[in-house]
Amino acid sequence: MIRSTLRTLLAGALAAGTLTAGALSLPASANAQEALGASRAAIEARQRFNAAFEGKTIAFVPITMGIPLTITWKDTIEREAAELGMKFVMRDPNLDMGAMTQAVSALIGGKPDVMVVHNPSVQLLAKLLKKAEKAGIHVIQINMASNTPTSAYIGADFYRIGKETAEDIVAQCGAGSGRSGKVAIVEGDPTSSVSMEEVTAAKAVFAEHPEIQVVSSQPGYWDANKAREITASVLTQHPDLCATFGVWGIMQLGAGQAIKEAGLTGKVLNYANGGGPQVICDSIKAGLIDKYWSFDAKLQGHDIMTAVKMILQSGAAPGELRTVLYSDTNVITADNADGACWQMPGQ
Amino acid sequence: MTLKGAQFGQGGIVAAVTLVVFAVFAVLLDGFAALANAVVLVRSVSVLGILATGMAIVVIARGLDLSQVATMAAVSAWMLKLMGGGLPIWVALLAGLALALVIGLINGALIAYVEMPALFVTLAMGFLIFGAVRTGLLGGDMLVYLPESAQGLQVLGQGAVLGIPVPVFLFAGVALAAHFLLSATSIGRFIYAHGDNSETARLTGIPVRPLTLLEYALSAAAGYIAGLIMAASSGSVDLRIINSTLNFDAILVVVLGGISLSGGRGGIGNVLAGTALIGTLLNGMVIMNLSAEVQSIVKGLVLLGAILLDNALHPTDEEVMRQGDI
Repeated sequence: MIRSTLRTLLAGALAAGTLTAGALSLPASANAQEALGASRAAIEARQRFNAAFEGKTIAFVPITMGIPLTITWKDTIEREAAELGMKFVMRDPNLDMGAMTQAVSALIGGKPDVMVVHNPSVQLLAKLLKKAEKAGIHVIQINMASNTPTSAYIGADFYRIGKETAEDIVAQCGAGSGRSGKVAIVEGDPTSSVSMEEVTAAKAVFAEHPEIQVVSSQPGYWDANKAREITASVLTQHPDLCATFGVWGIMQLGAGQAIKEAGLTGKVLNYANGGGPQVICDSIKAGLIDKYWSFDAKLQGHDIMTAVKMILQSGAAPGELRTVLYSDTNVITADNADGACWQMPGQ
Repeated sequence: MTLKGAQFGQGGIVAAVTLVVFAVFAVLLDGFAALANAVVLVRSVSVLGILATGMAIVVIARGLDLSQVATMAAVSAWMLKLMGGGLPIWVALLAGLALALVIGLINGALIAYVEMPALFVTLAMGFLIFGAVRTGLLGGDMLVYLPESAQGLQVLGQGAVLGIPVPVFLFAGVALAAHFLLSATSIGRFIYAHGDNSETARLTGIPVRPLTLLEYALSAAAGYIAGLIMAASSGSVDLRIINSTLNFDAILVVVLGGISLSGGRGGIGNVLAGTALIGTLLNGMVIMNLSAEVQSIVKGLVLLGAILLDNALHPTDEEVMRQGDI
């Protein structure tokens, strides 16, 4: 008895709800032009745009979450994907290479429409990315490239950054500068494309200038402590070192600490690059880094989504496109460090 | 403990090898023998040395701690996070110490009371700490910075007294304390007895289980101090260190120095010998600018050599057979 009364009540409530909702949405459906655009062309453009993304899925696999770059990318991708009506999924392998290959394999099975990957090395995902394209998934690579090209690579032009940094070092330390010409390089993980590109470019520049002597080129494995230890050793060996160049800013902060500990701040120039989080600008102002090439990670997140929009609207099949979008880069020094970096999302 | 001669055998050999390597580097490499470089050398292995000192206590008691570096990184990252959140520095430091000790006690309890093998307990604990601290206490962060308000803490990593860096003093302090504990107290004697033969130790009335808790707590405490130095040196804690080989490097130093994995033998002198050899090798290889691959080959060969020596000096005997190898 009570149950049937409840059921009636519920049905009534539901019907009322539907009616209200219908009444509210009536003007919109009655006048589709208002929702989609004023002109026929605009309406069609909007319809094509919406249809390209509605109900599609974008997957993101960074090497790990919890570092400024990946936090920022995720934040932007997730927000812009939601605006497009796309579903966002993420797998965080926590820097575990095995977990990363497993995550990508599992995602290929689940067939998202777009997969954004952050390659820890040029080889790790090379085969899987091919497989993903065969399975009909558009693959976008962010900042660290794989040996397998895919629909898009979005990221800094690390060769150019390495070259420009080296040229600046030559100008500061080379012929006519009155300085020693001794340079130390702190590599990242030697199998990462970022490290390979920057170090190759820098060494090519230095090779043209015999007065520049690369006294050390050691891998710091993205670790500030390792960079600090290597640089401390190099500095006792070569207290007249002119410059140290690290392929990633957060790691190279360790080299900056070693220079500070040795009392050589300002005498040994510290060069680095990266995505430009606030901690870097603070460190530049504190004198830990002298010159920093920044490829704004926030803009990169937006670039990823721009590529997604282009790729999905183009109608191209996975494997057809091979595009590269190098990120906008600017140079930060103590003179322009105020406001040149971004705050982490949520701070 | 009747094998004291053998223990000094390996420690002595390693010390001699260190001297030879040092001499060769000093002749071949300009500036290697300079006092400033010696300071850098000791400074660069002080974190490793402190970890190895804690590890030595556990290994002497015939155990192993694979969660030491995870404890180190997770606890120090949490402390920086607390300081960044406005907690007074000393409160954060105490909270960190408490967390480290709790982790050590849990390790010890699982090994002593639940009787699970140390290898698996600490391996699993390492994963657990990494995941739980990162999601539960750090809000997902992998990288935590020393906040502006706690810059004073940098003295621990970057300060120097009479030209000698503070981390070197801390390493010396930890080594002295551990040496005192192991050689001059009855607890130290008990630890040797525990490692030598756990059952006999128990039968003679040594509280083996509570002792195990203490051993792992001390290892975690060493991780805590090492983590403090690391955080203070670079002004940040990067949880990626957990995925590095640092934990195995600490074991390498212990075994290399001549503390047998079969327990009951060796002392802090061995840790110092092992640390000195690794420090000399690493420093020399960086100065020579050897590639990462060559460095890794040298490290691997040195470890194999040390285990070979350990095997020759402490051959598998009836006692080891009965207890099983680690």
